[in-house]
Amino acid sequence: MIAYLMNLATIVAIFGILAATLNFIIGFAGIFSVAHAVFFGLGAYAGAQVALLLVPDALLACLVGAAIAGGLSLCLALPALRVRGEYFVAASLGLQMMAATLFAEVKPLTGGIGGLVGIPRPTLLGVQIGVLPVAVAALALILFLTARLQRGAFGRTLQSIRDAESAAEALGKNVAAAKTLAVAFACAGAGIAGALFALHLSFVNVESFTMDQSVLVMAMVIIGGTGTLWGPIIGAVILLSLPAGLAFLPFIPATEVGAVQQIIYGLAMTLLMIFRPAGLVGDLSKGRSTA
Amino acid sequence: MSEILLKSENLARSFGGLQAVAGVSLSLPAGQVTALVGPNGAGKTTTFNLITGNLRADSGTASIRGKPIMGLKPWQVARLGVARSFQDLRLFTHMTVRENVLAATETASWFWQPGGTRARARRQERAEAAMEATGLTALADARAVDLAYAERKFLSMARILAAEADIWLLDEPASGLDLASRIRFGQLLRDAQARGVAICLIEHNLDVVVELSNRIAFLDQGKVLAEGDPETILRDPALAAIYFGDRPQEAA
Amino acid sequence: MLLLQLLLQGLQTGALYALTAAGFALIFGATRIFHFAHGTAFTLAGYVFLFGFTGGLPWWAAALCGIAVATLFGIAMERLVYRPIQRHEGSFFTVFVAAFGVAVVVQNLIGMLAGRGFASVDTELSRASEVLPEVFLAPVFWIAIGVAVALFAALSAFLTRHPAGVALRALAQNPDLIRTYGLSSNRLSVLAFALGSALAAPAAILTAMTSGLNEAIGHHAMLISIAATIVGGVGSLRGAALAGLMLGVAESLALAVVDTQWAEGVSFFVLFAFIIFRPSGIFGVVQTR
Repeated sequence: MIAYLMNLATIVAIFGILAATLNFIIGFAGIFSVAHAVFFGLGAYAGAQVALLLVPDALLACLVGAAIAGGLSLCLALPALRVRGEYFVAASLGLQMMAATLFAEVKPLTGGIGGLVGIPRPTLLGVQIGVLPVAVAALALILFLTARLQRGAFGRTLQSIRDAESAAEALGKNVAAAKTLAVAFACAGAGIAGALFALHLSFVNVESFTMDQSVLVMAMVIIGGTGTLWGPIIGAVILLSLPAGLAFLPFIPATEVGAVQQIIYGLAMTLLMIFRPAGLVGDLSKGRSTA
Repeated sequence: MSEILLKSENLARSFGGLQAVAGVSLSLPAGQVTALVGPNGAGKTTTFNLITGNLRADSGTASIRGKPIMGLKPWQVARLGVARSFQDLRLFTHMTVRENVLAATETASWFWQPGGTRARARRQERAEAAMEATGLTALADARAVDLAYAERKFLSMARILAAEADIWLLDEPASGLDLASRIRFGQLLRDAQARGVAICLIEHNLDVVVELSNRIAFLDQGKVLAEGDPETILRDPALAAIYFGDRPQEAA
Repeated sequence: MLLLQLLLQGLQTGALYALTAAGFALIFGATRIFHFAHGTAFTLAGYVFLFGFTGGLPWWAAALCGIAVATLFGIAMERLVYRPIQRHEGSFFTVFVAAFGVAVVVQNLIGMLAGRGFASVDTELSRASEVLPEVFLAPVFWIAIGVAVALFAALSAFLTRHPAGVALRALAQNPDLIRTYGLSSNRLSVLAFALGSALAAPAAILTAMTSGLNEAIGHHAMLISIAATIVGGVGSLRGAALAGLMLGVAESLALAVVDTQWAEGVSFFVLFAFIIFRPSGIFGVVQTR
């Protein structure tokens, strides 16, 4: 039972990082990415390779994961600079589908469909540790950073670009730089989450980095409430506890738990959008923060 | 004669077959309010867009204090001291009044602003002063989207005040304002004028033009037909005929 | 001969893409709603046909059922999801998330009911024979081309001749105008969803007879539709159809150089390139922001 809860807590922390960083670009920059799992995957493969080829140092794996995901975030920043709204969603969907194919096919780096196996247990400065403390520390750090950025000048810059790009530019804001930076920050965060994920499971394959995963993370953000600090974390807790809760229901066969989970959050997304678009935590009286 | 802050020469731009701006030469001296006047479609807003880099000019040049600005991006032009307002305001709708104004003082697009706590305190002072001058202090925590019409127009002005630019390009800043608001707005302009700001405003209502400006540039079909003090220009029957011509006067 | 084979194959795929994309473009053109659940109409039509046919219905009855379900789905989306959201002026993102939620639900329901993985219908029509040396064609090729041509002819006749079709095109330009003429923009937008969704059904049925369906094919159909609409130039139905055809041919011709799994990558690559270099598409008008 303890092991089970530890596992759940680790996964919640990892997905909390994913949801918090996605929320940062959705809620504050108005960049509606459906490709967050791509950067999660990049970080996971990078972290796994570091652990397999060099040392299984958690810190190093996280840094490399963040660097690679952050660097390749240009693939997402580029369309974000050119188009917005539906067009950008379409571009990020395309990126997500293309990346999934790449992950499955570039066998030397990703191990193909079979994935990378036998990732050694993580260490920190030579001492073997569990992933949980690292993941919780990383989540705390990312939450602290996003909260600081959101409340500070950078958050205002992003929001001003989201609300009226041309006016922000007319006030001297370098829109391209701000957007690129925001995307790089969010994707680097996803990369850290990926590296931790790889170390935690000691096995990764493309299944974890598909569109379904991107949609799951997006559902966490939306169900919790976009543009809020704690909403995405609450969303992550709810959606990740769901499979465990469903497993107690005897009439759902074990093989269908995943599908039932997706049906529930798919339904939740649709119904929330119709009846409570601000999400569970979002303040309705303030209206929608990401119109 | 005061220093010319912004100067354009023969700016031209066409859209498809339509020559929207056909060689506009304009000088904006420090401490003067220049009104751009002309019938709808004369190319007034397009001229602004060419100067600020929102549109590329087909030909012609523009410079700020002698420094050429053609080919610069809008944010680069802004950082040379140009602030503009938009006819449709383009407020940061989901941010509060204070956030709107503060955002105008924070130009660096980096994770933090340069200058540390002292610069931050100064930015906050500027923002408070801009809200004070526009009468928005009491509304500092209201969201832009919840403001009344006149308050929105003043918020747009507060952003410009806070930006500390010395060249203002204002697109119909006074349209739809009631008398009291217009008086307050006039005071804003005169204060800025006294500080040596070069102001250029687009305005349709000729009474307002006379009230606020001390120079007029008359535009028609993409050209400056006449430039001078309000009395002379507005008394010119030829210009009046063009202005009131067969086109009905409307706020567009 | 390989190239000719691939070209013909591409034309067949492209004709189906064109139909699906035209449905999406019709809906978007008339209602300005980016119908992210368009692929779901496609999936539903395909699986209903599959179930009907394997359950013993004659092919035409199964096809009719498929078309009917797709149409009903389109209407239901308009009435139950999009309209309530637009009533409280939801942003595009609200619309996207709601539609995507529906897509996720349907995908998983189908996965549970029909099993996961590929399913297809095997008929006489999908057996290929050698028509030229080393070039194989199944009768379904001619059906796909024929159906596409016939439906496009009917569609353009409807949009130019029939009052409702003309009104549909006008709705895209100016919703207020429609109201002044006493036409109901609500009813027209239902019509757009019904027609657009119905257009995806024949493509889905023919796909079930050729390359087969899986529960996630809706994502693919949706992306192709979006790609074709953007590449063709938003607002241009003809552009979307043409771009759909070209994407199908391009995917197929690419097989001469790369393996199958990369084929759909070609479409995404084209989409990506267009978004970055020419977001207004081939036939679109360049707009200043």
